[in-house]
Amino acid sequence: MLALGSDDPPMACHDEPMEPVTDVEMEVEPPDVRQVLLDAFGLPKAGLDICLCVIGEGPLSASEVADALGYDRSTVTRYLNKLVDLGLLRRSELNREDGGIVKAYHSVDLERMRRDTLIGFYLWAGEAASLIEEANVTKQDYLEENPDRELPDVFWESFPED
Amino acid sequence: MTVRRRQVLERLAAMSDADAECTTTVGELAASLEAEEDRVAKHVERLAACDLALHRPTGVRVTVTGEELLALDTDGTVVVDPSAVDAGP
Repeated sequence: MLALGSDDPPMACHDEPMEPVTDVEMEVEPPDVRQVLLDAFGLPKAGLDICLCVIGEGPLSASEVADALGYDRSTVTRYLNKLVDLGLLRRSELNREDGGIVKAYHSVDLERMRRDTLIGFYLWAGEAASLIEEANVTKQDYLEENPDRELPDVFWESFPED
Repeated sequence: MTVRRRQVLERLAAMSDADAECTTTVGELAASLEAEEDRVAKHVERLAACDLALHRPTGVRVTVTGEELLALDTDGTVVVDPSAVDAGP
């Protein structure tokens, strides 16, 4: 228990005086990135390896990633696109001098990702609250507002307060 | 001194120009970065494999692709897939 304030009278528990705790060590182990990616995104090992490789030094070619990890280049490309779908990477198209396009896969801005997720959550929560508010109409309210309509089968009931 | 590939690309972009076909040399790049020339040369080779740098008879220069990649303003971790070429109609 964490208590703030004066110690007069001294705090007690089961009639026993409580000792102040001053030497508190709260160590929180940082999550293992591999485990987070495996658990949160269900990445297979190949996807995980590629994801962690992209987090490292760059720019790299897809062939270089494939050579470094021992996968086929097609596997690397497939998982790069999968990581884009999961929102762990971003894909941009760059112009080539001789025409055509080269695809570049880059790590997301983690701060932006956090901000976007938070905004998405707030939007969702706002919509959910609006829906709940809309549904939270009593039978009586409904009948008053819609005197000539039938009452739906499922409806919120109002209960008189005791 | 250890030099990162991203640093080499950034310095190459500063010392050369894709549109003007202005080149520099690996030696000049290495001197500018105060890095070993062999190390810089390897990075340049890898950048060329990604279509981000281009060897010319007068030296080496950044490509349009390299300039566009730097303009993405990512935090420096990129995989480029030159195989995914869409040559268009």
